[in-house]
Formats: sequence, structure tokens, C-alpha cells
Amino acid sequence: MEQIQYHIRCKKGEVNKAVLLPGDIERADYIGTKFFRNSEKIIENREFHIYNGSYENKPVAVCSTGIGCMSAAVAIEELTNIGCKYFIRVGTCGSLSPEIYPGDIIIATGAVRGDGASKEYVPIEYPAVADYRTVTALKNRAKKESTNHGLGIIRTHDAFYMESPFAFGDYKKRVAIWTEAGVLAIENEASALFVIGSLRKVQVGAILVAAGNLITGKKGTKNELQKSVDKAITIAAGALVDLQEGKEKKI
Amino acid sequence: MKKMHHLQIEPGQIGEFVIIPGDPGRCHLIADHFENPQLIAQSREYVTYTGKYEGLTVSVTSTGMGCPSAAIALEELIMSGAKYLVRLGTTGALQKNIHLGEIIISTSAVRLEGTSVEYIPIEFPAVADLDIIDALVKATQEKKLKSHIGIIMSHDAFYKGSVFADPDFLKREQVWIDSNVLSVENESSALFTIGYLRKVKVGTILTVVANHLTREVITDGEKIDPIFHQMTDICLEAFKNIGKE
Repeated sequence: MEQIQYHIRCKKGEVNKAVLLPGDIERADYIGTKFFRNSEKIIENREFHIYNGSYENKPVAVCSTGIGCMSAAVAIEELTNIGCKYFIRVGTCGSLSPEIYPGDIIIATGAVRGDGASKEYVPIEYPAVADYRTVTALKNRAKKESTNHGLGIIRTHDAFYMESPFAFGDYKKRVAIWTEAGVLAIENEASALFVIGSLRKVQVGAILVAAGNLITGKKGTKNELQKSVDKAITIAAGALVDLQEGKEKKI
Repeated sequence: MKKMHHLQIEPGQIGEFVIIPGDPGRCHLIADHFENPQLIAQSREYVTYTGKYEGLTVSVTSTGMGCPSAAIALEELIMSGAKYLVRLGTTGALQKNIHLGEIIISTSAVRLEGTSVEYIPIEFPAVADLDIIDALVKATQEKKLKSHIGIIMSHDAFYKGSVFADPDFLKREQVWIDSNVLSVENESSALFTIGYLRKVKVGTILTVVANHLTREVITDGEKIDPIFHQMTDICLEAFKNIGKE
């Protein structure tokens, strides 16, 4: 498609095909300017900030998605339209497991589809599953960085003020079913990204930092969280390098 | 120790590693790959053998057809000590490029069945365990066999979704064909869901016995046996590699 995409305002060939997807605009700026070499800002429109650059001498990109599956779906659809193939969401989440502490890193294998966007694509019984090669690449890079991580299913949902430490009423009761099911954490974009990845045959994964714990109420300090976010970005960018080289096949 | 209500096995009579085919008639074919296989129990559609493979204690238990009986088998196997389980079975392909006799390794499954919904709301993803997927993929590659890796669909009504169903079945399946679902079978989504809830590792390897688009089908069970033997070898190699870690 030579056409300029409606929201991200880019056309084919303008964005490198391996893309980090943070939610936060500022995190996209941070990744683009601090982690990439030969960094170039491509576009800044609405909540979408896009940078190209290189990481370990491989072409990579970053695009912020904004909060929620609505805008995240727009981002991945339009990036796929212009030829992007590898996507890793890197962001924060709330831990639903007493064993996952603020600052801990989580790699998602699948996501509970508590969002609205993915339901417009395909019936709810379809699994929001991360691309297994991307999960393997993330696992391998986390091992290389000697980073302990949780690996498992997360929950994606739409209404932050229903299920978060800032939520109204008894949010712990609302999330209890997921904690009991062994769901590791809660966030707002992964399920739609995974579903659209499967539908459009592009590879999607997610690595998240627990910003707080919904069960224990513990929160991380800004400094601690920043260190973990840096680590998650390093792991994710490294995984994008390995995926492009086919290295993740060496399981 | 009391015997399990349906499987008629006791803890200690099975290994941590279990192959779970649908068909009780295929258990002995799988058990033939074990050293010193012993028939442990035979009750309803559940047949269990235990033996050894490269020092590991391994078992095979049939699940019967469908998620209701498969869920019972999985629950009772877990209560008896199973920790790593691979469903080994047959499937109908939903994509043109997937041919009869080829192998499918499932990463996850569409939950178009009734059983798993009694466990956890439908938005929960039925995903296979990553260690099992990795081990199955690796063992398949080592045998130089081709495999398709991806999402499958599990459902309950064979005569609504198979090459033997009414002529309109493809209309109902179009949504899954368009969603890149590789194939259709009857047990994996409940097995994956319950496996995650019970914190055991579950995966699925299948061979294609029909293609819903071309209407080709293998009806002669004996033609499938050689592929079952190959898939059994793949499962046992995967167990061996997991056992080493």
C-alpha cells in the first residue's frame, strides 16, 4: 500500500519492520532517543510517535499506541499495512499474583480478552495467543540478561477505573477470579494486539513490568521501575534483533 | 489409596509424563514404544498403560472423544501425579496448504466447546504450554518432519463441523478459516485451559486425516498407524528433553 495511513501518517517502507510498541508517547520518545542508534523521528500524530533506528546493527522502530485496545489496534493495523512484521509490546502492568512484585518482569504467552476491540474482529472463543517464536526470543534474551521473569497468561481489559489500585469500590473482588486462575497481571493492550497478529499473520509478543501489585497493594519506587523498564526494553529490542536473524529457532 | 472414579488408577501407577490420545484402541500402539509396558486399567473409554522410556516413567491414557471425557481424564491424571501431558490425535484441516498425513503442533485453541466454559469465562485464552510446544517442535525438526504450528479449533458437535456434516458446514467454519485457524478437533481447548488452571504442562500434536476444503479424508484407520508411531516417538523424545532440564 503506497497510500499514507490514516492515523500514523506513514506509507510503505517508511517504518522499519521490527517495532516496539509502548503505550506511552514519552516512552516511545525515550526508546527512540536513548536506546536506538541513528535514531530518526518519523512522525508525531495524536498518540502515535514513531522512530526508526538501529539496535545491535539491525533496523528497528518504535511506535506508541496510546492507552487501550482501540488505539493499539489502529497502530498495529496501519503498521502491518505498510509492511511491519515483528511487534513487541513493552509496557507496565498491575500484578495479580502475590508472587510477582513491583519491578518484576512478565512475558505473556496469552491474554484474557477482556477488551472490546478484539471482539469486533473474531468471536470471543478465539484465543489471544502471543506468537510462540516471539515468546521464545524474549525468554532467551531475558536469560541472557540474567533477568528472572514470570511467564504466562495476562488479562487485558478496557476500564482502568474498574480494575486497578485506583479503581472504585472493591476492585480486588472483581479481579479475584483471574488471580485464582493463575493470571499473572493486568494491562490494556495485549489481547487485541495478539488477536490481530494471528489474523494478519504478523508476529506479536509482550513484555511487561509490574508497576504495582493489586493484591498486596505494594507499589514500586520510580527509580526501581525505571530500571526494570530499561531492562524490559533491552530484552525486547534484543528479541527483535534475534527474530529478524531467525536466531530464536535455536531453542 | 482410593482408585480414581473413572480412570480406575491410583497415584503411583502412572508417570509424570503421559500421552493422551482420544481413541482407547490406539493406546496399545503407543505403549509398544515403552519398555516393559503394563496395562494398568481399562474402564469405559479410559485405557491406561505405564512403562519406561530412557529412564523416565511414562504412561498413556485415552481420553475418549470430546472435552467432557477428556477433562475427566486430565483431572484424574493430575490427581494421580501427571505433570507433563501431550494429546496425540487426529484433526481435520481448515487450510488449503495443509495436507493429509501432515503434522500440526498447536499453540492454542478456539474454545468452541462447552466444558472449559464451566471452568473459566470464555475470554480466557486456551494456550498450550510453551515448554511442551518447544520440545515437540524440536523433536519434529530432528525427525526431519514437516509441521504446521498455530491455532486450532476445538468443538463438540462432530456432525456440525466435519467432512461428514451437512453441506452448510463450511459456511459455519468460514470465520475460523478466515482467522487462520489450522484445523478442527475435539479436546485441546479444555485440556489447555484446565492444564493452566491446575499448573501442569499440556500440549497437542495432531495428524491431518481430513481436509474440510478439499473434502479429502482418510477412512482406513490402519493408514494412520505409521504416523501415530512417528508422533509417539516425537512425544517421547520431547518428554526426554523436558526430563533432562
